[in-house]
Amino acid sequence: MSQPSLTLPAAGQAAGRGRRLLEIAGAAAIAGTYIFLVLTQPADIANGPASFSALVALGGFLLGAVLLILAVLPVLPTSTLVLMPVALVLNVVLGQLMGTTGLPFYFDAIGTVLIAVLAGPAAGAATGALSSIVWSFFNPTVLPFAAGAALIGFLAGLAARGGQFRRFYLAPVAGFGTGILAGVVSAPIAAFVFGGTSGLGTGAIVSAFRAMGDSLFAAITKQALISDPMDKAIVFAIAALLAYALPRRATFAFPFVRRFGVLAGKAPGTPKA
Amino acid sequence: MRARLHPLTALTGAACTAVVTTAAASWVFSVAVTLAVAVLAARAGVARQVLPAAAVILAPLCVSLLVLHGLFFPEGQTALASWGPARVTAEGLRFALELATRTAACVLALLLFSFTVSVPDLVSALAERKLPPQFVFVLASTLALLPAIAGRLVRIRQAQEARGLVLRGGLLSRLGAVRLQMVPLVLGLIEDAGSRAQALDARGFGGGAPRTSYREVPDPPAQRWFRAAALLAAAGAVVIRLALSWPPGVQP
Repeated sequence: MSQPSLTLPAAGQAAGRGRRLLEIAGAAAIAGTYIFLVLTQPADIANGPASFSALVALGGFLLGAVLLILAVLPVLPTSTLVLMPVALVLNVVLGQLMGTTGLPFYFDAIGTVLIAVLAGPAAGAATGALSSIVWSFFNPTVLPFAAGAALIGFLAGLAARGGQFRRFYLAPVAGFGTGILAGVVSAPIAAFVFGGTSGLGTGAIVSAFRAMGDSLFAAITKQALISDPMDKAIVFAIAALLAYALPRRATFAFPFVRRFGVLAGKAPGTPKA
Repeated sequence: MRARLHPLTALTGAACTAVVTTAAASWVFSVAVTLAVAVLAARAGVARQVLPAAAVILAPLCVSLLVLHGLFFPEGQTALASWGPARVTAEGLRFALELATRTAACVLALLLFSFTVSVPDLVSALAERKLPPQFVFVLASTLALLPAIAGRLVRIRQAQEARGLVLRGGLLSRLGAVRLQMVPLVLGLIEDAGSRAQALDARGFGGGAPRTSYREVPDPPAQRWFRAAALLAAAGAVVIRLALSWPPGVQP
Protein backbone atom coordinates (compact mmCIF):
# COMPACT_ATOMS: atom_id res chain seq x y z
CA MET A 1 0.00 0.00 0.00
CA SER A 2 2.90 2.34 0.55
CA GLN A 3 5.02 1.61 -2.48
CA PRO A 4 5.84 4.70 -4.52
CA SER A 5 4.66 4.67 -8.08
CA LEU A 6 7.23 3.04 -10.34
CA THR A 7 6.10 4.45 -13.64
CA LEU A 8 5.98 8.18 -12.94
CA PRO A 9 8.94 10.58 -12.93
CA ALA A 10 9.94 12.22 -9.65
CA ALA A 11 9.21 15.92 -9.23
CA GLY A 12 11.95 18.20 -10.50
CA GLN A 13 14.34 20.22 -8.37
CA ALA A 14 12.84 23.58 -9.36
CA ALA A 15 9.32 22.43 -8.54
CA GLY A 16 10.58 21.31 -5.12
CA ARG A 17 12.05 24.73 -4.43
CA GLY A 18 8.84 26.45 -5.53
CA ARG A 19 6.85 24.30 -3.12
CA ARG A 20 9.26 25.05 -0.28
CA LEU A 21 8.74 28.76 -0.98
CA LEU A 22 4.97 28.24 -0.92
CA GLU A 23 5.24 26.44 2.43
CA ILE A 24 7.33 29.25 3.90
CA ALA A 25 4.95 31.85 2.49
CA GLY A 26 1.99 30.03 4.03
CA ALA A 27 3.62 29.79 7.45
CA ALA A 28 4.71 33.44 7.19
CA ALA A 29 1.17 34.53 6.29
CA ILE A 30 -0.22 32.83 9.40
CA ALA A 31 2.50 34.11 11.73
CA GLY A 32 2.44 37.61 10.23
CA THR A 33 -1.34 37.84 10.52
CA TYR A 34 -1.20 36.83 14.16
CA ILE A 35 1.52 39.37 15.03
CA PHE A 36 -0.30 42.10 13.09
CA LEU A 37 -3.56 41.35 14.93
CA VAL A 38 -1.89 41.43 18.33
CA LEU A 39 -0.15 44.73 17.56
CA THR A 40 -3.21 46.47 16.08
CA GLN A 41 -6.01 44.97 18.19
CA PRO A 42 -8.79 47.49 18.68
CA ALA A 43 -8.36 49.23 22.00
CA ASP A 44 -12.06 49.86 22.42
CA ILE A 45 -14.51 47.35 20.99
CA ALA A 46 -17.44 49.42 22.25
CA ASN A 47 -17.30 51.43 19.00
CA GLY A 48 -18.60 48.45 17.08
CA PRO A 49 -17.55 44.99 16.00
CA ALA A 50 -13.92 44.73 14.96
CA SER A 51 -14.64 44.41 11.24
CA PHE A 52 -11.14 45.46 10.29
CA SER A 53 -9.51 42.81 12.48
CA ALA A 54 -12.07 40.21 11.37
CA LEU A 55 -11.26 40.78 7.70
CA VAL A 56 -7.51 40.70 8.33
CA ALA A 57 -7.80 37.53 10.43
CA LEU A 58 -9.98 35.76 7.88
CA GLY A 59 -7.89 36.81 4.90
CA GLY A 60 -4.46 36.14 6.39
CA PHE A 61 -5.26 32.81 8.00
CA LEU A 62 -7.19 31.44 5.02
CA LEU A 63 -4.44 32.55 2.64
CA GLY A 64 -1.85 30.79 4.79
CA ALA A 65 -3.92 27.60 4.95
CA VAL A 66 -4.51 27.58 1.17
CA LEU A 67 -0.81 28.18 0.44
CA LEU A 68 0.11 25.28 2.75
CA ILE A 69 -2.40 23.02 0.99
CA LEU A 70 -1.08 24.01 -2.45
CA ALA A 71 2.50 23.41 -1.32
CA VAL A 72 1.95 20.04 0.33
CA LEU A 73 -0.87 18.37 -1.57
CA PRO A 74 0.77 17.69 -4.98
CA VAL A 75 3.81 15.95 -3.44
CA LEU A 76 1.95 13.60 -1.11
CA PRO A 77 1.98 9.94 -2.16
CA THR A 78 -1.38 8.48 -3.09
CA SER A 79 -1.33 6.21 -0.04
CA THR A 80 -1.32 9.28 2.20
CA LEU A 81 -3.79 11.18 0.05
CA VAL A 82 -6.49 8.53 0.33
CA LEU A 83 -6.14 8.72 4.12
CA MET A 84 -7.23 12.36 4.19
CA PRO A 85 -10.95 11.77 3.59
CA VAL A 86 -10.70 9.05 6.22
CA ALA A 87 -9.13 11.52 8.65
CA LEU A 88 -11.86 14.07 8.10
CA VAL A 89 -14.58 11.49 8.56
CA LEU A 90 -12.85 10.33 11.74
CA ASN A 91 -12.69 13.92 13.01
CA VAL A 92 -16.45 14.13 12.67
CA VAL A 93 -17.50 10.60 13.65
CA LEU A 94 -15.05 10.04 16.52
CA GLY A 95 -15.87 13.51 17.83
CA GLN A 96 -19.51 12.52 17.99
CA LEU A 97 -18.68 9.10 19.46
CA MET A 98 -16.61 10.69 22.24
CA GLY A 99 -19.52 13.04 22.78
CA THR A 100 -21.57 10.02 23.91
CA THR A 101 -19.25 9.61 26.92
CA GLY A 102 -20.42 12.98 28.24
CA LEU A 103 -16.96 14.52 28.67
CA PRO A 104 -16.92 18.33 28.22
CA PHE A 105 -14.33 18.66 25.44
CA TYR A 106 -14.50 19.08 21.67
CA PHE A 107 -12.31 16.22 20.34
CA ASP A 108 -12.51 17.47 16.78
CA ALA A 109 -8.94 16.64 15.76
CA ILE A 110 -8.56 12.91 16.48
CA GLY A 111 -8.37 11.99 12.79
CA THR A 112 -5.91 14.79 12.00
CA VAL A 113 -3.55 13.71 14.81
CA LEU A 114 -3.82 10.05 13.82
CA ILE A 115 -2.85 10.85 10.21
CA ALA A 116 0.00 13.06 11.39
CA VAL A 117 1.33 10.19 13.51
CA LEU A 118 1.10 7.73 10.62
CA ALA A 119 2.17 9.99 7.71
CA GLY A 120 4.18 12.93 9.06
CA PRO A 121 3.94 16.69 9.68
CA ALA A 122 3.29 17.79 6.08
CA ALA A 123 0.40 15.36 5.70
CA GLY A 124 -0.90 16.38 9.12
CA ALA A 125 -0.88 20.09 8.25
CA ALA A 126 -2.63 19.54 4.92
CA THR A 127 -5.17 17.23 6.57
CA GLY A 128 -5.96 19.80 9.25
CA ALA A 129 -6.46 22.63 6.77
CA LEU A 130 -8.43 20.52 4.29
CA SER A 131 -10.59 19.13 7.08
CA SER A 132 -11.69 22.61 8.01
CA ILE A 133 -12.49 23.47 4.39
CA VAL A 134 -14.51 20.32 3.71
CA TRP A 135 -16.19 20.40 7.14
CA SER A 136 -17.34 23.95 6.40
CA PHE A 137 -19.78 22.42 3.92
CA PHE A 138 -21.82 21.36 6.95
CA ASN A 139 -20.71 23.95 9.47
CA PRO A 140 -19.31 27.16 7.96
CA THR A 141 -18.07 28.38 11.34
CA VAL A 142 -15.12 25.96 11.32
CA LEU A 143 -13.70 27.45 8.10
CA PRO A 144 -11.86 30.38 9.77
CA PHE A 145 -10.04 27.96 12.10
CA ALA A 146 -8.24 26.24 9.18
CA ALA A 147 -4.85 27.69 10.15
CA GLY A 148 -5.14 26.44 13.74
CA ALA A 149 -6.13 22.97 12.52
CA ALA A 150 -3.12 22.92 10.16
CA LEU A 151 -0.86 23.87 13.07
CA ILE A 152 -2.24 21.01 15.19
CA GLY A 153 -1.55 18.49 12.42
CA PHE A 154 1.94 19.86 11.79
CA LEU A 155 2.93 19.84 15.48
CA ALA A 156 1.48 16.35 15.96
CA GLY A 157 3.64 15.13 13.07
CA LEU A 158 6.73 16.80 14.53
CA ALA A 159 6.03 15.22 17.92
CA ALA A 160 5.66 11.81 16.26
CA ARG A 161 8.93 12.27 14.38
CA GLY A 162 10.63 13.28 17.62
CA GLY A 163 9.56 10.02 19.26
CA GLN A 164 6.86 11.42 21.55
CA PHE A 165 4.55 8.56 20.65
CA ARG A 166 7.09 5.84 21.52
CA ARG A 167 6.24 6.15 25.20
CA PHE A 168 2.57 6.34 25.96
CA TYR A 169 2.91 8.93 28.74
CA LEU A 170 4.77 11.37 26.43
CA ALA A 171 1.88 11.71 23.95
CA PRO A 172 -0.37 13.79 26.26
CA VAL A 173 2.62 16.00 27.09
CA ALA A 174 3.14 16.73 23.39
CA GLY A 175 -0.59 17.33 23.07
CA PHE A 176 -0.48 19.81 25.94
CA GLY A 177 2.24 21.84 24.22
CA THR A 178 0.42 21.68 20.88
CA GLY A 179 -2.76 22.87 22.55
CA ILE A 180 -1.02 25.95 23.96
CA LEU A 181 0.22 27.05 20.51
CA ALA A 182 -2.98 26.12 18.67
CA GLY A 183 -5.14 27.87 21.23
CA VAL A 184 -3.09 31.07 21.04
CA VAL A 185 -3.25 31.09 17.21
CA SER A 186 -7.01 30.41 17.13
CA ALA A 187 -7.89 33.03 19.75
CA PRO A 188 -7.98 36.04 17.35
CA ILE A 189 -10.49 34.20 15.15
CA ALA A 190 -12.79 33.50 18.10
CA ALA A 191 -12.38 37.07 19.37
CA PHE A 192 -12.61 39.14 16.18
CA VAL A 193 -14.70 36.99 13.84
CA PHE A 194 -17.19 35.44 16.25
CA GLY A 195 -16.83 37.69 19.28
CA GLY A 196 -16.88 34.72 21.64
CA THR A 197 -16.93 30.95 21.85
CA SER A 198 -19.84 28.71 20.99
CA GLY A 199 -19.60 26.40 24.01
CA LEU A 200 -21.37 27.31 27.25
CA GLY A 201 -18.52 26.02 29.43
CA THR A 202 -15.86 27.93 27.51
CA GLY A 203 -18.16 30.97 27.42
CA ALA A 204 -18.36 30.91 31.21
CA ILE A 205 -14.55 30.99 31.48
CA VAL A 206 -14.37 33.94 29.07
CA SER A 207 -17.08 35.73 31.09
CA ALA A 208 -15.04 35.25 34.26
CA PHE A 209 -11.99 36.92 32.71
CA ARG A 210 -14.14 39.70 31.25
CA ALA A 211 -15.63 40.32 34.69
CA MET A 212 -12.09 40.93 35.92
CA GLY A 213 -11.75 43.67 33.30
CA ASP A 214 -9.69 41.92 30.59
CA SER A 215 -10.10 42.93 26.95
CA LEU A 216 -12.08 40.44 24.86
CA PHE A 217 -8.97 39.23 23.02
CA ALA A 218 -7.02 38.73 26.25
CA ALA A 219 -9.96 36.92 27.88
CA ILE A 220 -10.38 34.53 24.95
CA THR A 221 -6.63 33.88 24.77
CA LYS A 222 -6.61 32.99 28.48
CA GLN A 223 -9.65 30.77 28.03
CA ALA A 224 -7.90 29.02 25.12
CA LEU A 225 -4.85 28.50 27.31
CA ILE A 226 -7.08 26.73 29.85
CA SER A 227 -9.24 24.53 27.58
CA ASP A 228 -7.12 23.76 24.52
CA PRO A 229 -4.10 22.11 26.18
CA MET A 230 -6.36 19.73 28.14
CA ASP A 231 -8.38 18.93 25.04
CA LYS A 232 -5.34 18.29 22.86
CA ALA A 233 -3.62 16.22 25.57
CA ILE A 234 -6.66 13.92 25.59
CA VAL A 235 -6.86 13.89 21.78
CA PHE A 236 -3.17 12.95 21.49
CA ALA A 237 -3.68 10.19 24.07
CA ILE A 238 -6.67 8.82 22.12
CA ALA A 239 -4.68 8.95 18.87
CA ALA A 240 -1.80 7.09 20.56
CA LEU A 241 -4.21 4.49 21.93
CA LEU A 242 -5.67 4.03 18.45
CA ALA A 243 -2.25 3.79 16.81
CA TYR A 244 -1.26 1.04 19.25
CA ALA A 245 -4.63 -0.70 19.05
CA LEU A 246 -4.25 -1.08 15.27
CA PRO A 247 -2.39 -4.17 14.10
CA ARG A 248 1.32 -3.62 13.44
CA ARG A 249 0.84 -4.81 9.89
CA ALA A 250 -1.32 -1.75 9.26
CA THR A 251 0.73 0.89 11.10
CA PHE A 252 4.19 -0.25 9.99
CA ALA A 253 3.07 -0.17 6.36
CA PHE A 254 3.57 3.61 6.49
CA PRO A 255 7.09 4.71 5.46
CA PHE A 256 7.02 7.60 7.98
CA VAL A 257 6.36 5.18 10.86
CA ARG A 258 9.18 2.85 9.77
CA ARG A 259 11.73 5.55 8.97
CA PHE A 260 11.52 7.56 12.18
CA GLY A 261 10.56 4.73 14.52
CA VAL A 262 7.39 6.59 15.48
CA LEU A 263 5.82 3.72 17.41
CA ALA A 264 7.47 1.48 19.96
CA GLY A 265 8.11 -2.12 19.04
CA LYS A 266 9.65 -3.77 16.04
CA ALA A 267 8.26 -3.91 12.54
CA PRO A 268 6.63 -7.23 11.77
CA GLY A 269 8.77 -9.51 9.63
CA THR A 270 8.03 -9.23 5.93
CA PRO A 271 7.33 -12.57 4.31
CA LYS A 272 9.78 -13.53 1.59
CA ALA A 273 8.27 -13.23 -1.85
CA MET B 1 -34.16 28.24 -10.66
CA ARG B 2 -31.00 27.78 -8.59
CA ALA B 3 -30.42 24.32 -9.98
CA ARG B 4 -29.27 25.86 -13.25
CA LEU B 5 -26.64 28.04 -11.58
CA HIS B 6 -23.06 27.13 -12.35
CA PRO B 7 -21.55 25.82 -9.06
CA LEU B 8 -18.81 28.44 -9.11
CA THR B 9 -21.40 31.20 -9.52
CA ALA B 10 -23.22 29.97 -6.43
CA LEU B 11 -19.94 29.66 -4.52
CA THR B 12 -18.81 33.14 -5.54
CA GLY B 13 -22.18 34.57 -4.62
CA ALA B 14 -22.16 32.98 -1.16
CA ALA B 15 -18.53 33.89 -0.40
CA CYS B 16 -18.94 37.49 -1.59
CA THR B 17 -22.12 37.86 0.45
CA ALA B 18 -20.21 36.73 3.54
CA VAL B 19 -17.30 39.09 2.84
CA VAL B 20 -19.50 42.11 2.14
CA THR B 21 -21.58 41.44 5.26
CA THR B 22 -18.43 41.23 7.39
CA ALA B 23 -17.07 44.43 5.88
CA ALA B 24 -20.35 46.31 6.24
CA ALA B 25 -20.46 45.80 10.03
CA SER B 26 -24.05 46.95 10.42
CA TRP B 27 -26.69 44.79 12.05
CA VAL B 28 -29.43 46.22 9.82
CA PHE B 29 -27.53 45.10 6.74
CA SER B 30 -26.84 41.68 8.33
CA VAL B 31 -30.51 41.14 9.15
CA ALA B 32 -31.46 42.15 5.61
CA VAL B 33 -28.97 39.64 4.17
CA THR B 34 -30.22 36.93 6.53
CA LEU B 35 -33.81 37.49 5.44
CA ALA B 36 -32.85 37.61 1.76
CA VAL B 37 -30.96 34.32 2.04
CA ALA B 38 -33.88 32.73 3.91
CA VAL B 39 -36.24 33.79 1.11
CA LEU B 40 -33.85 32.41 -1.52
CA ALA B 41 -33.64 29.13 0.43
CA ALA B 42 -37.43 28.93 0.54
CA ARG B 43 -37.67 29.57 -3.19
CA ALA B 44 -35.05 26.91 -3.88
CA GLY B 45 -37.06 24.49 -1.73
CA VAL B 46 -34.29 23.77 0.77
CA ALA B 47 -35.47 25.98 3.63
CA ARG B 48 -36.42 22.90 5.67
CA GLN B 49 -32.86 21.63 5.57
CA VAL B 50 -30.92 24.90 5.68
CA LEU B 51 -32.76 26.62 8.54
CA PRO B 52 -32.54 23.76 11.10
CA ALA B 53 -28.88 23.15 10.20
CA ALA B 54 -28.15 26.86 10.70
CA ALA B 55 -30.12 26.90 13.96
CA VAL B 56 -28.07 24.01 15.38
CA ILE B 57 -24.87 25.95 14.63
CA LEU B 58 -26.05 29.41 15.61
CA ALA B 59 -28.14 28.79 18.73
CA PRO B 60 -25.25 27.93 21.10
CA LEU B 61 -23.15 30.75 19.66
CA CYS B 62 -25.91 33.32 20.10
CA VAL B 63 -26.71 32.21 23.67
CA SER B 64 -23.02 32.34 24.53
CA LEU B 65 -22.62 35.81 22.97
CA LEU B 66 -25.68 37.12 24.79
CA VAL B 67 -24.51 35.85 28.18
CA LEU B 68 -20.92 36.93 27.62
CA HIS B 69 -21.44 40.47 26.29
CA GLY B 70 -24.84 41.08 27.83
CA LEU B 71 -23.57 40.55 31.36
CA PHE B 72 -19.85 41.32 31.18
CA PHE B 73 -18.78 44.23 29.02
CA PRO B 74 -16.26 46.33 30.95
CA GLU B 75 -16.03 48.85 28.09
CA GLY B 76 -19.76 49.64 28.38
CA GLN B 77 -20.80 53.05 29.72
CA THR B 78 -24.61 52.87 29.82
CA ALA B 79 -25.53 50.39 32.54
CA LEU B 80 -29.10 49.16 32.33
CA ALA B 81 -28.95 46.85 35.35
CA SER B 82 -26.30 45.33 37.54
CA TRP B 83 -25.96 42.43 39.97
CA GLY B 84 -22.59 42.37 41.72
CA PRO B 85 -19.88 41.99 39.08
CA ALA B 86 -22.39 41.50 36.25
CA ARG B 87 -23.58 44.62 34.46
CA VAL B 88 -26.05 44.73 31.59
CA THR B 89 -24.87 47.52 29.31
CA ALA B 90 -26.43 48.92 26.15
CA GLU B 91 -23.05 48.72 24.39
CA GLY B 92 -22.64 45.05 25.31
CA LEU B 93 -26.09 44.11 24.03
CA ARG B 94 -25.43 46.04 20.84
CA PHE B 95 -22.09 44.29 20.35
CA ALA B 96 -23.74 40.87 20.84
CA LEU B 97 -26.45 41.82 18.33
CA GLU B 98 -23.92 43.00 15.74
CA LEU B 99 -21.84 39.82 15.94
CA ALA B 100 -24.77 37.41 16.14
CA THR B 101 -26.50 38.86 13.07
CA ARG B 102 -23.23 39.04 11.12
CA THR B 103 -22.40 35.40 11.85
CA ALA B 104 -25.98 34.34 11.09
CA ALA B 105 -25.88 36.02 7.67
CA CYS B 106 -22.54 34.44 6.73
CA VAL B 107 -23.53 30.95 7.97
CA LEU B 108 -26.87 31.03 6.15
CA ALA B 109 -25.32 32.19 2.87
CA LEU B 110 -22.66 29.47 2.92
CA LEU B 111 -25.12 26.77 4.01
CA LEU B 112 -27.49 27.71 1.21
CA PHE B 113 -24.61 27.14 -1.20
CA SER B 114 -23.65 23.75 0.22
CA PHE B 115 -27.25 22.51 0.38
CA THR B 116 -28.09 23.52 -3.20
CA VAL B 117 -24.85 22.67 -5.00
CA SER B 118 -24.59 19.42 -6.93
CA VAL B 119 -21.33 17.85 -5.78
CA PRO B 120 -20.49 16.15 -9.12
CA ASP B 121 -20.98 19.47 -10.93
CA LEU B 122 -18.81 21.30 -8.39
CA VAL B 123 -16.08 18.68 -8.70
CA SER B 124 -15.94 18.83 -12.48
CA ALA B 125 -16.10 22.64 -12.46
CA LEU B 126 -13.16 22.77 -10.04
CA ALA B 127 -11.19 20.23 -12.06
CA GLU B 128 -11.77 22.35 -15.19
CA ARG B 129 -10.25 25.35 -13.39
CA LYS B 130 -6.91 23.49 -13.06
CA LEU B 131 -7.11 23.01 -9.32
CA PRO B 132 -4.81 20.24 -8.07
CA PRO B 133 -6.69 16.98 -8.77
CA GLN B 134 -5.69 15.85 -5.27
CA PHE B 135 -7.78 18.61 -3.72
CA VAL B 136 -10.77 17.73 -5.87
CA PHE B 137 -10.36 14.07 -4.93
CA VAL B 138 -10.28 14.76 -1.19
CA LEU B 139 -13.35 16.99 -1.41
CA ALA B 140 -15.43 14.57 -3.49
CA SER B 141 -14.26 11.49 -1.62
CA THR B 142 -15.07 12.93 1.80
CA LEU B 143 -18.53 14.04 0.80
CA ALA B 144 -19.22 10.58 -0.60
CA LEU B 145 -17.64 8.78 2.36
CA LEU B 146 -19.48 10.50 5.22
CA PRO B 147 -22.88 8.79 4.83
CA ALA B 148 -21.20 5.45 4.14
CA ILE B 149 -19.21 5.68 7.37
CA ALA B 150 -22.27 6.52 9.43
CA GLY B 151 -23.89 3.33 8.13
CA ARG B 152 -20.76 1.36 8.87
CA LEU B 153 -20.68 2.60 12.46
CA VAL B 154 -24.24 1.34 12.93
CA ARG B 155 -23.25 -2.10 11.60
CA ILE B 156 -20.19 -2.23 13.89
CA ARG B 157 -22.33 -1.35 16.91
CA GLN B 158 -24.86 -4.01 16.00
CA ALA B 159 -22.11 -6.59 15.63
CA GLN B 160 -20.57 -5.65 19.00
CA GLU B 161 -23.98 -5.64 20.67
CA ALA B 162 -24.56 -9.13 19.33
CA ARG B 163 -21.33 -10.05 21.13
CA GLY B 164 -22.52 -8.60 24.43
CA LEU B 165 -21.63 -4.87 24.27
CA VAL B 166 -23.91 -2.84 26.55
CA LEU B 167 -24.02 0.95 26.16
CA ARG B 168 -24.66 1.72 29.82
CA GLY B 169 -22.87 2.15 33.11
CA GLY B 170 -20.14 4.47 34.34
CA LEU B 171 -17.49 6.42 32.50
CA LEU B 172 -15.03 3.53 32.31
CA SER B 173 -17.49 1.11 30.77
CA ARG B 174 -18.59 3.81 28.32
CA LEU B 175 -14.98 4.40 27.30
CA GLY B 176 -14.58 0.66 26.86
CA ALA B 177 -17.65 0.62 24.62
CA VAL B 178 -16.22 3.49 22.57
CA ARG B 179 -12.96 1.57 22.16
CA LEU B 180 -14.81 -1.52 20.97
CA GLN B 181 -16.44 0.56 18.21
CA MET B 182 -13.53 2.83 17.34
CA VAL B 183 -10.84 0.25 16.70
CA PRO B 184 -12.77 -1.81 14.12
CA LEU B 185 -13.92 1.38 12.39
CA VAL B 186 -10.45 2.92 12.12
CA LEU B 187 -8.83 -0.36 11.13
CA GLY B 188 -11.40 -0.99 8.40
CA LEU B 189 -11.06 2.55 7.04
CA ILE B 190 -7.27 2.39 6.90
CA GLU B 191 -7.35 -1.01 5.18
CA ASP B 192 -9.84 0.32 2.65
CA ALA B 193 -7.69 3.38 2.03
CA GLY B 194 -4.74 1.13 1.23
CA SER B 195 -6.58 -0.81 -1.42
CA ARG B 196 -8.07 2.40 -2.82
CA ALA B 197 -4.56 3.87 -3.13
CA GLN B 198 -3.42 0.88 -5.18
CA ALA B 199 -6.46 1.10 -7.43
CA LEU B 200 -5.97 4.83 -7.97
CA ASP B 201 -2.25 4.49 -8.67
CA ALA B 202 -2.94 1.73 -11.18
CA ARG B 203 -5.16 4.21 -13.04
CA GLY B 204 -2.50 6.92 -13.19
CA PHE B 205 -3.89 9.13 -10.42
CA GLY B 206 -0.48 10.36 -9.29
CA GLY B 207 0.61 11.43 -12.80
CA GLY B 208 0.60 15.00 -14.01
CA ALA B 209 -1.10 14.30 -17.33
CA PRO B 210 -4.13 16.45 -18.23
CA ARG B 211 -7.52 14.96 -17.39
CA THR B 212 -10.59 14.80 -19.53
CA SER B 213 -14.05 14.93 -18.05
CA TYR B 214 -17.23 13.26 -19.21
CA ARG B 215 -19.28 15.82 -17.40
CA GLU B 216 -19.80 19.25 -18.92
CA VAL B 217 -21.17 22.05 -16.80
CA PRO B 218 -22.63 24.89 -18.90
CA ASP B 219 -21.22 28.28 -17.95
CA PRO B 220 -23.24 31.05 -19.64
CA PRO B 221 -21.47 34.40 -20.19
CA ALA B 222 -24.03 36.20 -18.02
CA GLN B 223 -22.92 34.15 -15.01
CA ARG B 224 -19.26 34.93 -15.75
CA TRP B 225 -20.10 38.62 -15.69
CA PHE B 226 -22.02 38.14 -12.46
CA ARG B 227 -19.02 36.42 -10.86
CA ALA B 228 -16.65 39.16 -11.94
CA ALA B 229 -19.02 41.82 -10.61
CA ALA B 230 -19.49 40.01 -7.30
CA LEU B 231 -15.74 39.63 -6.83
CA LEU B 232 -15.23 43.31 -7.63
CA ALA B 233 -17.95 44.31 -5.16
CA ALA B 234 -16.42 42.16 -2.41
CA ALA B 235 -12.93 43.53 -3.10
CA GLY B 236 -14.31 47.06 -3.09
CA ALA B 237 -16.09 46.49 0.23
CA VAL B 238 -12.90 45.14 1.81
CA VAL B 239 -10.81 48.05 0.49
CA ILE B 240 -13.31 50.62 1.76
CA ARG B 241 -13.46 48.96 5.18
CA LEU B 242 -9.66 48.78 5.44
CA ALA B 243 -9.32 52.40 4.33
CA LEU B 244 -11.98 53.57 6.83
CA SER B 245 -10.42 51.70 9.74
CA TRP B 246 -6.85 52.74 8.98
CA PRO B 247 -4.85 53.48 11.06
CA PRO B 248 -5.95 50.53 13.19
CA GLY B 249 -6.78 51.06 16.85
CA VAL B 250 -3.80 52.12 18.91
CA GLN B 251 -3.22 50.65 22.35
CA PRO B 252 -3.90 53.18 25.09
